[in-house]
Amino acid sequence: MEYEAVIGLEIHVELNCATKMFCDCPNSAGADPNTNTCPICLWFPGAIPRFSEEALEKAALTAMGLNCIIQERSAFDQKVYYYPDLPKGYQLSQAHLPLARNGWLDITAENGETKRLRIHKIHMEEDVAKLVHEIEGRTPISLVDFNRAGVPLVEIVTEPDMRSPHDAMEFIRVLRTQIRYIGTAECSMEAGTMRVDANISLRPKGSELLNTKVEVKNMNSIRHLGDAIAYEINRQTASLHAGDPIVLHTRLWDPEKSITVAMRGKFEGPCIPDPSVPHIVVTEDWKKKIQARLPEMPGAKAERFCRQYGLNREESLMVSGERELSEYFEAVVKQKVSPRTAVHWIFSQLAPALKEHEQRFNDTAVNPERFAGLLILLENNEINAKVVRKVIDLLFESDQTPADIIDQQGFRQVSDVDQIEAMIRDILAANPSAVNDYKSGVEKALGFLMGRAMQALKGKGNPQIIREILIRKLDA
Amino acid sequence: MQTDLFTFFNPSEPCAEQGGPLQGKSFTIQPNMSVCDWPTEAGSPALKKFVAIEDATVIERLKKAGAYLVGSTCMSELGFGLAGDTTGKVIAGGLSDMALMMDMMGEVRIAAARERVFGFKPTNGIISRFGLIGLVPSMECFGVLAKDPTLIAAAMGVMTGQDERDFSMDETEPPSFDLTDSEKLSIRTMGIIRECVDVLEDTVMSKFKTDLEKLKTWGFSIKELSLPDFDLFRTIHQCIGSVEASSSCGKYDGVRYGHRCHQAKNWNDMYLKSRAESFGTLIKSYLFQGAYFQFQNYDAFENAGRIRARLAGDIHQLFAECDVLTFPTGNGHTADPKTSNQVSDIYDELALTLPANVLGIPAVQIPAFSADGEIDPGLQLMGPRFSDARLLATACRLSRSVEGGR
Repeated sequence: MEYEAVIGLEIHVELNCATKMFCDCPNSAGADPNTNTCPICLWFPGAIPRFSEEALEKAALTAMGLNCIIQERSAFDQKVYYYPDLPKGYQLSQAHLPLARNGWLDITAENGETKRLRIHKIHMEEDVAKLVHEIEGRTPISLVDFNRAGVPLVEIVTEPDMRSPHDAMEFIRVLRTQIRYIGTAECSMEAGTMRVDANISLRPKGSELLNTKVEVKNMNSIRHLGDAIAYEINRQTASLHAGDPIVLHTRLWDPEKSITVAMRGKFEGPCIPDPSVPHIVVTEDWKKKIQARLPEMPGAKAERFCRQYGLNREESLMVSGERELSEYFEAVVKQKVSPRTAVHWIFSQLAPALKEHEQRFNDTAVNPERFAGLLILLENNEINAKVVRKVIDLLFESDQTPADIIDQQGFRQVSDVDQIEAMIRDILAANPSAVNDYKSGVEKALGFLMGRAMQALKGKGNPQIIREILIRKLDA
Repeated sequence: MQTDLFTFFNPSEPCAEQGGPLQGKSFTIQPNMSVCDWPTEAGSPALKKFVAIEDATVIERLKKAGAYLVGSTCMSELGFGLAGDTTGKVIAGGLSDMALMMDMMGEVRIAAARERVFGFKPTNGIISRFGLIGLVPSMECFGVLAKDPTLIAAAMGVMTGQDERDFSMDETEPPSFDLTDSEKLSIRTMGIIRECVDVLEDTVMSKFKTDLEKLKTWGFSIKELSLPDFDLFRTIHQCIGSVEASSSCGKYDGVRYGHRCHQAKNWNDMYLKSRAESFGTLIKSYLFQGAYFQFQNYDAFENAGRIRARLAGDIHQLFAECDVLTFPTGNGHTADPKTSNQVSDIYDELALTLPANVLGIPAVQIPAFSADGEIDPGLQLMGPRFSDARLLATACRLSRSVEGGR
């Protein structure tokens, strides 16, 4: 029998709020263990959780950016379980009345078509403490770091709409792009600020059954997510073919061995309405205010870029993929640089240079004005492409304008036709064999002669003019 | 005397600053209320050697109003029931002008009734719970015992009001505790619930009837009302209360504070042993009940929540027909602190006070309707939410009538 996979994802995303969810402790990674703590997040007796408005706003903004409907009333529950990472025996989470429901994201399916994947719900919850196990040494010990306890999270639960590792990976890519756009989270699987669990079941192809699922955890990159799902589909298929039933349980992805390993029976603790955190009731006005803070999302932006700037689909997807990049691009184009020139030079030269200098589009010294200035010189034929590369490097080193740099360095390109003609005459005279080759149809000879001409002009010659004159003279 | 009645006796000097509404009045607390640097063990090894790191909001406010602390009384484990509690004795013995006590099912009123003093439980949500080491957040609050009900009103006036450290408070402006507008605060009709009267012990019943006759002679009209589901209050309290208690006690793991077992195989073993050694039999039974509803019978818990809402609606309707409801405070059961190790003993004793906790409404216990030597279960008035001042004004009026009648 042929089976098809039914895949749903549960994604925890750490929000980049200034404080934790129920106290004023800073929400910042990298602090010394147990320094970002207070009686509330350590759950000392007598403390009362104080729900952060920023967490609510960022969670709602995230949900809106994922096309969800914010619920008028939502509430926190206590998810009861006892584990050293949870110092009060329950996690504050929204089980019964989630913040938002019914969202979706569009992905490009394997067949190239757009596929809409539905989001079942998005709810808020607090992160738990981090356990550090030191197993080396005589006595293995476990340490608890409460810096992460109480950090605001949203959990995004999808519908089981995915059918392949590709769908799941694409969903996470699109989700990450969207959320980074919204600016509410970093979404790094590698750094653990986004954690993705996959629920996978199989069913005979064509049926609408939802069979027993297996949960897979511990993937720390999008590639591992795809690998883990593929592995799990194969494992379950083999089980079914062998006549073994699938049992509801949780498996861990082992990145070293590229396999999933059974961890435990799937545990669903009880969820009790929390009596201390008030219900959250939002008004239409409030929703409008939050909605107004939502930026233009990448899908809409890509469409606009096609329309407004004449980019092709691939280019506009690339440019709109990151918010900072897209804003940089538009700022450059605003300086009257042709959009395609901007796209070309941003991707081919600026992006790698930024990476090398460890700068970002929104804070680089090569701001859109300076970069556009350089490209305008190129478009006006005052410099050639080779020089552009050199000047980009120099732009990182000083705050001079591109024009000053090229004047200072003598990079301005030679477009004086008489000067070029005289020079080419000399070159042709000095290289008769290449001229003969060209005339007998050896194309490469033209390149050789071009090279000689550029060399003679120390790389500052306008290649288009050189080429025109060269061909005119050779064909004469 | 002090060592018997106090877990921590540390009278501070009466505040020198003049003019606060509670100037020169002394008060005690229970060891589940935070006073900076005071031992705060809440009657349980689960909080062994725990010392509070800041003052509870109410304590801060009482001090600011001129009141001064005497000490911390003895209490039952985590405030569940009254075993070992000395708050009533401290007031009756004149060792303090007033006493703060946690009321999660009527402890304040029963403790007051036993010692024939006044005990008041306010509307839930008008006093900050910050610094209270509670057990059942949706039902508990700070209550006050005193011989003088006007002092209770003065203390309430100081303690109530918004606190940014407790977001769970009611957003409504708290009621005024100014009792001078006696016209506005007067009541005429007291309701009694037939289904409650039907289950009273004989001695309590006859005393209650005598009390009602007195009330009539003082000009109150008594109206008999019906609430067929009255007996559900207890069930609802036990179900929801035990679940919340189970959650509240999750934090007592012996890791950050409290008792930690000496030897354990691994962390799980450490938690199990520490908790097993920390909690007494009674509170353990209660927590087990809560865990049962959480893990095994969540539907029952959900139903309890629904019934709680329905009972609130029922009571609301009754208050359309009367100003306050009246009950005896005690019902003749006294859980023997030495032998009462069953949850049902506690619920038997507090059966007539706990409806106010289930509904979050105010209630006052009024003593001294009886001659000396007589059994006095106390008289209790319950009013709608925010009728706190009316209840206290009525308590004052009755106290004057009693004295006038002597």
